[in-house]
Amino acid sequence: MEGHQRNLYLYDRFNARVLGVSRDDVITLKYWAKSLDITFPLLSNVTGFLGFYFGVGPSPEIKGFPVFSRRTIIIDKRGIIRYVRDGSPDFKDVLLFLKKLNEEGGKP
Amino acid sequence: MNRKGLTILCLLLALVWVSGCATTDTSKKPYRLSEQGMLIWNDEYEFIVPPVGWKVIQVESGGEFGFGFLRSDPGPYPSQSMFVYDEEPFGCSLNFGEREEEFFKRYLWSASISMNIKVLERKKINIVGGEGLAVIAEGRDSVKKEKVRSKIVFGKRGERVVSWYLTQWRHADSTFDLATFDVFDKWVDSFKFLKKSFYETL
Repeated sequence: MEGHQRNLYLYDRFNARVLGVSRDDVITLKYWAKSLDITFPLLSNVTGFLGFYFGVGPSPEIKGFPVFSRRTIIIDKRGIIRYVRDGSPDFKDVLLFLKKLNEEGGKP
Repeated sequence: MNRKGLTILCLLLALVWVSGCATTDTSKKPYRLSEQGMLIWNDEYEFIVPPVGWKVIQVESGGEFGFGFLRSDPGPYPSQSMFVYDEEPFGCSLNFGEREEEFFKRYLWSASISMNIKVLERKKINIVGGEGLAVIAEGRDSVKKEKVRSKIVFGKRGERVVSWYLTQWRHADSTFDLATFDVFDKWVDSFKFLKKSFYETL
């Protein structure tokens, strides 16, 4: 998340917005965001429906706890999912993809 | 969301919890010596070779990799010194003052139980051809009976803040070796970027 916060000025340049989704409750996310100086929205998805909506299941590494696997998803302005990567985000890959998507969106 | 009528993209992310660790490099060497005797790292950075006794390390921090040098010092555990270059220091701000504040929220958090870090000195400097900030701090963990002295240098590479830092660990009753800080200063002063960073090419 800190990596995304660091890149906010670049996301802005590419007309992108970032949201974090977690199964943590609102109070936990509030204090966690404060501790990391996160300013972009974090969504508390306690029931987990959003994770399943985007095909993110419980982590196989942490059995018995309601923890999502990590997944990065980019949705374009038409609402189409254009990018899906599992695991920790590759920030440079994300930036290159957003740059490409922004250039693509700017064409008539 | 819809400023200037431009394309709007939305990025949804699963939360990522990142932790840091240091590993000794055992794979192929990412460095070479120039004809002038300078060390070239990944054809991207140039700096002087540290004195004999410093071992190359690669450091993971903030989800990115940096590199540096580690030396075991005489004396009881945990006597050692380490200095590194970190492309993504803790924190997010592009402003030095704010970045320093963010940095110290997490600096050494995983290495101590109760580290009370105090800033002893803070001054503006010139680094790699631009403005920078140098901070000297000390901390003491009374539970583990360890102490640390650090010098952190913040500089800019393009728009982004990068850092060089030295940490020297000692048992609570031992003394710091301040000569090591001179080695670090010379290393930082010799630092050059040989090409634009990824972010500068976007």
